[in-house]
Amino acid sequence: MTKEELIAYIQENFSGKIELIENDMAEPYFLVPAGEIVAFSRFIHDDTKLLLHFLMNLSGVDTKEQFEVVYNICSYRHKHRIFFKTVLPYDKAQVDTVIGIWPAANWYEREAWELFGITFVGHPNLKRFLLPDDWDQGHPLRKDWVGRDVIPFPEV
Amino acid sequence: MAEQLRTETMTVNMGPHHPSTHGVCRLILTIDGENVVDCVPDIGFLHRAIEKICENRTYPQCIPLMDRFEYVTSMMCNWGFALATEKLTDLEVPERAEYLRVIMGELNRIASHLLCIGVTGLDLGALTPFLYTFREREDILDLFEMTCGQRLTYNYIRIGGVARDIPPEFYPKCRQFLDKIDAKCDDYEKVLTENPIWIARNKGVGILTEQLVLDYAVSGPSARASGVNFDIRKHDTYSIYDRFNFDVPVFHGCDSYDRYRARMAEIRQSARIVRQALDQMPEGEIRAKVSPKFKPKVGEVYSRVENSRGEMGFHIISDGTVKPYRVRARGGSYNHLLVTPEIVKGLKIADLVAIFASLDIIMPEIDR
Amino acid sequence: MGVNDDKLPVYAESVPGGGIITTQLNKIFTLTQAKSLWYLLFGTACCAIELMATGASRYDFDRLGMIFRASPRQADLMIVAGTITYKMAPVVKRLYDQMAEPRYVLAMGGCAIGGGPFYYDSYAVLRGIDKVIPVDVYVPGCPPRPEALLQGCLEVGKKLRTQKMEDWRVRNDG
Repeated sequence: MTKEELIAYIQENFSGKIELIENDMAEPYFLVPAGEIVAFSRFIHDDTKLLLHFLMNLSGVDTKEQFEVVYNICSYRHKHRIFFKTVLPYDKAQVDTVIGIWPAANWYEREAWELFGITFVGHPNLKRFLLPDDWDQGHPLRKDWVGRDVIPFPEV
Repeated sequence: MAEQLRTETMTVNMGPHHPSTHGVCRLILTIDGENVVDCVPDIGFLHRAIEKICENRTYPQCIPLMDRFEYVTSMMCNWGFALATEKLTDLEVPERAEYLRVIMGELNRIASHLLCIGVTGLDLGALTPFLYTFREREDILDLFEMTCGQRLTYNYIRIGGVARDIPPEFYPKCRQFLDKIDAKCDDYEKVLTENPIWIARNKGVGILTEQLVLDYAVSGPSARASGVNFDIRKHDTYSIYDRFNFDVPVFHGCDSYDRYRARMAEIRQSARIVRQALDQMPEGEIRAKVSPKFKPKVGEVYSRVENSRGEMGFHIISDGTVKPYRVRARGGSYNHLLVTPEIVKGLKIADLVAIFASLDIIMPEIDR
Repeated sequence: MGVNDDKLPVYAESVPGGGIITTQLNKIFTLTQAKSLWYLLFGTACCAIELMATGASRYDFDRLGMIFRASPRQADLMIVAGTITYKMAPVVKRLYDQMAEPRYVLAMGGCAIGGGPFYYDSYAVLRGIDKVIPVDVYVPGCPPRPEALLQGCLEVGKKLRTQKMEDWRVRNDG
């Protein structure tokens, strides 16, 4: 399917619940509300016309006003891919886990939890793994994070 | 014996310093005798915060960091990052630079596969393949050295082109190497493919089913050894890969042995691509004019390249300043290590080593 | 009578009957040790690949009598090849503590010397392993060439030859 067909097909099945993000990326990019993530994921994973089996990437983003979680899914049978993201408020950064649909989400979500502080409800093992065991300085990839012994790069 | 001996499982710690974990990875194993009951990987021993550092660097300054993101195929990391930035800035890359990128990328892929095969031999207790493959790998590093002056972290593929043109003596030396590598591959196959010990240690070991490949998003040669015919160069093509004739080797054994065979077949295909690229390469500019402090447009971009371990993706969010707002790098080993516990359960510890080597897991890609 | 290794045959021949030399235990001990430095295979990042290349066909560590050991108990020299993070630092310390005297440390590459390209802005990288363990020889580069590493190992050998056996005990106690 081309990008336009993909967009039309997905919007048809999820009308009103998701929003298309206009940008000039080669792939469709949707905004999915946090409550719909699991239903939407289940649909694009199982639908025979989409078969988006590969969770290629899941990353957190701190936009200084809110958190975003970006999902990047690819289908090897149909050779297409889509992006979608969800927006979470700062004070309640919670979204349902998609680990039941894509087991590959396991570490991606753990990482987003560790580095951004986004909680994935239902994740079986939200434990620290990238940072040292005795880490007590919060979530370093947040934009407002200030580290104890970070030497800033000198501006030239 | 009428009464069974009472046995219980034991927890052992493999790593973080262990020669067959290919870097610093800790595996917490629950074992019953020699059999692995459970395996929990613990990563982060090489977490260098590359994503955070990139937020404080200009785009050209990020490229040397990308070398260190995955140092076995540094060319491909440079390439992926440069591709993403070029998409953000709508930059046209000169024709000759595209060919140089393909040549360097494919040579780097050969070097990476040679390293993987050699190290697999080393992990299984055979020193010979290690010495053989490193001999040919040194020839590739010589080619890189005469091109960009470095053996491992090249910083060669830049935004808008490549850093410098290849010297005239590159051509004969490269052709000489390409002529040699096919014969050398035959040599490796003589040593390994029919070797009874190699077959006993690898065949039927570490079955990575197609379902596991899909669930855990395994890509690259490891996925193609499980019958998943997906190669970004072919099916989601980037750069100028649509101009070359090459096959995507797909095997259906799903085991360590077929993963080795997939890599061996890819070496031959990469050599084929380099040969075609050398023949077709035009003269001309090698780099588009880019200011070192250029500002890309506001937006998001995701670029992917087919690395020797699967899909390598770079997700860059730009806010229109000289520095990227967020850089997210994704490497294939991440999923390979995630799926390892699923395929080692019930096998022996020695098999775990073989599986770890055959999946070609490299830690910096995972920890970043 | 002191023995230099290059003059060893001369001394051996000059004694009537041959095959007998007199020397200090210290000298013969350090001489032999410098000729068989077994190193701990401690690669973490990019430098580990160069360390492997140094051990492989073209550069051939073996000709200096250097063989890699996977266990710190059997190693004389710890080549720290690569970035050490705060999470890894306790492990480096522990491995160093497990090595037997006399033990030497070679810091290979920018990261092990002082953080390298991750000196600025990184919250996770230890800026130099000399903050954790004593370092004898630094080999700069990112990563250093195998020739540089070979030179560094020869320097370790030179340093070893100047040491006295008593020093090891002192170093152990301190």
